[in-house]
Amino acid sequence: MKLRILSILIILSLLLNACNSIQNLIPSEKLTISIVYGSEKQAWLDPLIKQYNDANNKTSGGKIIVVQATAMGSIESVRGIIDGSIQPTVWSPASSIYIPVANSEWKKSHTDDLVTGTPKDLVLSPVVIAMWRPMAQALGWPNKAIGWQDVAQLSTSKEGWAAYQHPEWGSFKFGHTHPNYSNSGIVSIIAETYAGLNKQKGLTENDLNSPDLKDFMAKVESSVIHYGASTGFFGDRMFERGPSYLSAAVLYENLIVAQETKRINGQSSQIPVVAIYPKEGTFWSNHPYVILNTAWVTAEQKEASQLFETFLLDKPQQLKALEYGFRPADPSIPLTAPLDSEHGVDTTQPKTILELPSAPVIEGIQTLWRQEKKPVDLFVVMDISGSMRGDKITTARDSLLKFINKLDDRDRLRIDLFNDQITTLTPLTALGDKRQQVLDSVSGIFEQSNTSLYDATLKAYEDLQTEGDPTHIRAIVILSDGEDTSSAATLDQVTTKITGSENEGGNAIKVFTIAFGSDANADILKSIAEPSGGKQYDSSPETIQKIYDDIATFF
Amino acid sequence: MYTPKINWFLFVLFLAATVGVLIAAMISPSLRTLAYAPLREAVLPPPEPIEVSVLYSTEKEAWLNEVIVDFENTNPTIDGHPVKVKLEKMGSWEINAAVLDGTRKPVIVSPASSLQIVSLQDASSAKFGKALVNPADTSVCHSVVRTPLVLVAWKERADVLWGTQPGKSLWKDLHDALLNPQGWAAYNHPEWGYVKFGHTDPLKSNSGYMTILLMTYGYYGNTSNLNASDILSNADYQKWFLETEGSIGQFEYSTGPLMEKMVAYGPSTFDIVAVYEATAIEQAQNAVGRYGELRVYYPPASLWSDHPFCIVNGDWVTTQQNQAAKLFINYLTSKPAQEIALLKFGFRPMDKSIALDQTGSPFDRYAANGFRSDISGNPDVEIPAGNVLNTLKDFWSRNASK
Repeated sequence: MKLRILSILIILSLLLNACNSIQNLIPSEKLTISIVYGSEKQAWLDPLIKQYNDANNKTSGGKIIVVQATAMGSIESVRGIIDGSIQPTVWSPASSIYIPVANSEWKKSHTDDLVTGTPKDLVLSPVVIAMWRPMAQALGWPNKAIGWQDVAQLSTSKEGWAAYQHPEWGSFKFGHTHPNYSNSGIVSIIAETYAGLNKQKGLTENDLNSPDLKDFMAKVESSVIHYGASTGFFGDRMFERGPSYLSAAVLYENLIVAQETKRINGQSSQIPVVAIYPKEGTFWSNHPYVILNTAWVTAEQKEASQLFETFLLDKPQQLKALEYGFRPADPSIPLTAPLDSEHGVDTTQPKTILELPSAPVIEGIQTLWRQEKKPVDLFVVMDISGSMRGDKITTARDSLLKFINKLDDRDRLRIDLFNDQITTLTPLTALGDKRQQVLDSVSGIFEQSNTSLYDATLKAYEDLQTEGDPTHIRAIVILSDGEDTSSAATLDQVTTKITGSENEGGNAIKVFTIAFGSDANADILKSIAEPSGGKQYDSSPETIQKIYDDIATFF
Repeated sequence: MYTPKINWFLFVLFLAATVGVLIAAMISPSLRTLAYAPLREAVLPPPEPIEVSVLYSTEKEAWLNEVIVDFENTNPTIDGHPVKVKLEKMGSWEINAAVLDGTRKPVIVSPASSLQIVSLQDASSAKFGKALVNPADTSVCHSVVRTPLVLVAWKERADVLWGTQPGKSLWKDLHDALLNPQGWAAYNHPEWGYVKFGHTDPLKSNSGYMTILLMTYGYYGNTSNLNASDILSNADYQKWFLETEGSIGQFEYSTGPLMEKMVAYGPSTFDIVAVYEATAIEQAQNAVGRYGELRVYYPPASLWSDHPFCIVNGDWVTTQQNQAAKLFINYLTSKPAQEIALLKFGFRPMDKSIALDQTGSPFDRYAANGFRSDISGNPDVEIPAGNVLNTLKDFWSRNASK
């Protein structure tokens, strides 16, 4: 009898245990939050997102939180949010600078602000001028304070580095990102405006009418080799290509620490780079964590986003940020190695900041920049061989039309079409005078015959060398969907031509190649693009528009 | 044969008593402790905790987080139900707004100062026909710690600006430094740019409000009898006041975050901020690890943040929550909690038996940074009448808010 009762009890308890185990095996529902963030913190954020997702953290309702993150230029991302093309839960741009402008844009079609309250900072890093150490030393660093004015002076000097007893370094090659896409681009042009007006605060819309300021901005921008979509990408280019490509660029302090860490560990063979904290003042990149105040963010997603924010602000994660060269937002973490002179930075800097202008002033500066920025001389070389027929030629044509509309009136454009012949659709002249005519001509492009890729590339390169203005950004965009079948010229001739311009460094003609479809030989196109400082893209009718958008960020 | 019967009888009695106690404990958790422990935990559901929600201002976050653990370790119960404290932080004026618009229904409100309690008493009477707080009833509403408003600067820059002690015209001197077009160049430090001052948003945070009130007293050079016409009818005062406020880039929503920002960003971003003494003490050590030492200045006349804890007289507060809230508030004024408030967080305890400058206290450790336990030489300013407070708030809101 006793034995029977005992057996029943044991079986019951086993059943209960089994029920519990089964319950544990049933997967919980998942809740995804999407984050669009400034690419400069990718190295810090990516492993933390993986760690957070692996831990199966749950909301109060028991759903497992899944964080999906996309790195994107800070200004580009908010434009996407405003036009509805992206709908993230959280926006974490490189700084708070653009938030007032974002709110003012958003409120044109909504009743509430897009960003409410004061978002918390995730990590901090001052905006600096990254310069190769020997070049900084030639300017008097570290004993002499250097500022935006010095950059302007160097930019406008005909002698370039010869004025500093270094003729072998050639001209001063400067870079900052595109203000329509990236936070550091906006910061650069605001700082230029302050320097041009010799102010540190109190910028007004009226100030922007100053002829001296326009002249100043045009001069500084004349030394820019090209623009770019995001600061992280721009830093990579500078540190990959070295001092002959770029003398200095507007970056964040953390990117310099990251590069110097690589160099010290033997992962980069470049010469040392240092952070110059502009003497007139700078801005902070403070990486605010913005849970968007939009209808598409649910209460559950808001809760999950807050939980993830708390995780990022916890001490272990903040200490990790220090390893990547950020100044932690948590003030209890001291600024220690690698934030030191060995890694090219100085934590007693910056000494002062520039006052953040109002939204209308920032928008006014963007308009001014569009008028004064370095113009581009651009050749578009487009494959119209028979293999382009159907969907390919249609999407290539449509995306080219949109690309042309992103160019400014002052930009000069030539379009060459090639099959076994090369036809110039429009010569290199300012777009403003012929925009509609060009758009009409592009709309009428159709495909036929063989592919003379090398002939077309070589001709475009030689013609741009003679027709182009070396004080402009000079670039060629080549779209091809197949291998060369009928050129007189060889690939060797093309690459020899391009590498022959290496002494021009960052000011050389840049070639962007688009391998359109799976038949294109991406390796050949890469060997044409990369030595020039341009970029090779693999593309399809689905992605061609995005690629043209990316190329547009260089101008 | 007789003995087993007795045994059976006793066994049944024991069983009946056990079951009886368990049932009684189920009905009234206060009897739970009488039940046989292993059986109780296996059979009885855990008693529902009594939740005491506290809407509090951020400055005392670290202290509260620490003493709440100590409080809950004392296993406080009301009628057998454990007491659980649930904290939510907000700017002091935001607490009032949230309670008045009904988005929060807390058991306790604890803004940074009695100014907000007086204001909430008036506003809730007007809106609901009954006061949600009663500062006069010390059984439900009283201060637990206090701390004065101070100015905090980076020592390196303070040495250049005012040395160890500013003059009696501190607020006017501050205005002049902020407005000087030469900025720090006027003090032979052009590399420091323009002079940057910060205080919190007076519409959201108590310290911001206290700053503009002290600033106004500072302009008139007195400590009492401020009236609405002083604010509304004196163009010179208005110009002076708005010039100072116009020099501030952004008003933080709360005092703790403002001080954290000062230390996180360093002197490039804030030269001087107006915060509570305890907030400054909390960051004094962190500052050294970031950008250097701080220097604290006591304004010539003082205004205090006295951290009242008031049980809300709302129909959502149960009798048990009321009792639990009193237990919690009593714990906060107990000696262990008060000592922690002083020694770890720099608040001045209400318990007068605790010496402020005892060895190891912040007033002892940070004396070189200018922290002083005795500021009785600086008179307290009079709290003006409600209409004057509102006039100043409205004036700021219309003219200085960004």
